[in-house]
Amino acid sequence: MIWIAKRIAVALVLVWIVTTIVFLAIQMVPGDPAEMLLSQGGVAPDPAIVEELRAQLGLDRPVLEQYRDSMWSLLHGDLGVSLIDGNPVGGLIAQRLPRTLELIGAAALLALLIGLPTGLIAAIRRGETFDRVASVVAGMALAIPVFVVGTLLVLVFAQILHLVPAGGYVPFAQSPGQHLLLLSMPAMTIALGLGAMVFRMTRASVLDVSMRDYIRTARAKGLAPARILLHHVLRNALMPVVTVVALQLGTLLGGTVLVEYVFNYPGLSGLLVDAVNSRDYTIVQGVVLVISILFVGLNLLVDLLYAVIDPRVRHA
Amino acid sequence: MLSRRSFLLANAAIPFLRMKAFAATSGSLVFGLSSHPPNLDPWRHTGTAAGAVKQLIFRGLTSFGPDGQLRGELAETWERSGDSGWVFHLRDAVFHNGAPVTAEDVKWTLEQIAAEKSTAYLKAEIQSVQEIRTPDRRTVHLVMKEPTVTVPMWFANFNMPIIARGTTEGGSTPVGAGPFVLKGQERGVAIDLEAFDRFFKPGLPKVKSIRFVAYADENLRVAALQAGDVDIIDYVPWQAMDAIERDSKLKLLTTNGPFMGLIFNGRTGPFTDPRVRQAVGFAIRRDEIVKAAFFGRGAPLEGIPLTPGTPFFDEARSHHWRYDPDRAKKLLAEAGMSNGFQCTLLSTAQYGMHKQTAEIVQQHLAEIGIQAKLNLPDWATRLTLGGRGQYDFAVVGDSALTPDPDGIAFLLDAELPESISRSYGMSTPKLHELFVQGRSTFEHEKRREIYAQMEQEALEQAPFVGLAWRSQGYAMKKSVEGFHNLPGSLSFASGITLEETSIA
Repeated sequence: MIWIAKRIAVALVLVWIVTTIVFLAIQMVPGDPAEMLLSQGGVAPDPAIVEELRAQLGLDRPVLEQYRDSMWSLLHGDLGVSLIDGNPVGGLIAQRLPRTLELIGAAALLALLIGLPTGLIAAIRRGETFDRVASVVAGMALAIPVFVVGTLLVLVFAQILHLVPAGGYVPFAQSPGQHLLLLSMPAMTIALGLGAMVFRMTRASVLDVSMRDYIRTARAKGLAPARILLHHVLRNALMPVVTVVALQLGTLLGGTVLVEYVFNYPGLSGLLVDAVNSRDYTIVQGVVLVISILFVGLNLLVDLLYAVIDPRVRHA
Repeated sequence: MLSRRSFLLANAAIPFLRMKAFAATSGSLVFGLSSHPPNLDPWRHTGTAAGAVKQLIFRGLTSFGPDGQLRGELAETWERSGDSGWVFHLRDAVFHNGAPVTAEDVKWTLEQIAAEKSTAYLKAEIQSVQEIRTPDRRTVHLVMKEPTVTVPMWFANFNMPIIARGTTEGGSTPVGAGPFVLKGQERGVAIDLEAFDRFFKPGLPKVKSIRFVAYADENLRVAALQAGDVDIIDYVPWQAMDAIERDSKLKLLTTNGPFMGLIFNGRTGPFTDPRVRQAVGFAIRRDEIVKAAFFGRGAPLEGIPLTPGTPFFDEARSHHWRYDPDRAKKLLAEAGMSNGFQCTLLSTAQYGMHKQTAEIVQQHLAEIGIQAKLNLPDWATRLTLGGRGQYDFAVVGDSALTPDPDGIAFLLDAELPESISRSYGMSTPKLHELFVQGRSTFEHEKRREIYAQMEQEALEQAPFVGLAWRSQGYAMKKSVEGFHNLPGSLSFASGITLEETSIA
């Protein structure tokens, strides 16, 4: 319990540090929300009107005062309102986060479905044709940037074959079929690279564990190969795979921006990038805070998972 | 495990899912917008994408029609009254809340725009109204501080709609009198409009609903049109125009209206001397900018951006800065800079046309000895640096506010407050005086003379050096009818023709 409490305390400090750094960073970066809002389309606003809007948005106050108010609001669970359209930031995040989680979840599921069995088979059949072909394909999948994969998918399936819409989002409740169609291409785009990573990790890890002494002992004891594979090899080989997948998922929380952009998918990353571009400080702050909490929480979960997979961790 | 049969069945189902997904409701239109409007504040300028939507839910006293001519909207007619007055006669129209549009609504709207804490785009203009009289509920009499010829044009701006009295108070949603009612919106995703059945133009709008979907990625916007997801798109990327023209199911409407140019720091640095600015004007091969940045979709702009075909356009002066490197070198020598100099050219890497224009300008100026170092930050930083005058010269992309020469005063008149759109820290008293004269002169021939002088002065002082007209395009399915790309600088106001647009 003390171990868990310590981990949570460290996590909270980390979240505060990240939030402070982001607040200071965005204040230091040139660009001003009032100026951005009134200069849409390259039109020059009257400087006096920009100043008036800055005052209305509270941007003319000292930075320290803004920081104090911002932290106080965050402590009370109030993420503030968008400087650009006045919408509550909490509401915007609540709207976008589930979509990104769904996208990441779908991509992770696809990646595991592809990566785990192929990695396992490739390890078992090391050096055979399947292993060689799968390794080459995985290398290619890792090398191709997501925006290239995404653009190709749009070109082939939307523009040429007219099988799916080019992009966008429809709520599941409104049209389940269209919802899944629109989710499929961005999820596949992410899953391709992630699946390749899972494949390589699984293959390498299974090969590594297979050569350990205790596996040799198990074989010498006359245990069935399937039992050795499932109970001894796979269980131990999965730890690094879980670590990599979890870290990747955490990164994807704020890192699906290219995929969201290519497919016009209205997720959390897109909201963050739009907010940075328009210098919508409150949204940037709110999204980064939520991503930090989720990322730190995910890492905490991985630590706990370690303890489940490998009991030695609990006593370390 | 997925069998071959189940895989084939799943694939066979996709077209049916797709049909359900794409089947267009009869009488509804899907518009692929280049960006999601930051907000729909009626009087703030929040971009051209916002303008397209605002023109449909709100309405002003006047507008520009498909032929580029000013026409009545909520005002049926208007006329001058004395030396400095304008009278607008309102037509029988109602707001979305059912209340009639009255002279009191117009007066209230103008008072909100001119208020001390207002952040309205046309605040300064409306503050030049001395008195607003409402002799009866359908007549508005504006008494201006100075005679002003451009007043009816102000009311055609999409940031100048008439709003129902009191409806913005307490942060409420403003109520307009446009052909569509706002039904819903999600930031960054879509805006839904529904036809207003009591719109004052009989038979309009022609479609029951319009859904604006934002596609920030220009290639995806085009892909969405080609895939049939949307019926019409704005800001057609230049590289896609050929493909759209070749597509038998699509059509493309373009006009040369917006433009690219250079502005200068007139306070410090090498460009304080007008001869150096002129030298820049003569040193650039503009056709290369048109080819590289706009894929040949545009035209060289060798003067100031007065729209060809308008009564104030002069063919000879429009080619003043035709490429002439010898003259450029001579001007540099006269300014005592025959060995050239080093300077900073501010642009942005966020938009390809700005970046490519800057790169070509850099190359061409190097040929006459001007070594320009590019500064290409993101757009937000570009705006801040521009506003603070932290550049020697800068690339700008803009559009005239109206087809009238007064519509480019914001670009050339450096006596106006410092701004990102015009040269920084420069003094142009003669230009300022000519714009003031042109604005207060009603006789057409006299105005032509004044603006001819203004153009000559602008070419000599060079607070702005034109580079290229760029083609502004809308693309749509061939089944879309009634949509017009308004000519020249009015292109960004084309959204108003969506009220006449139908889809077969």
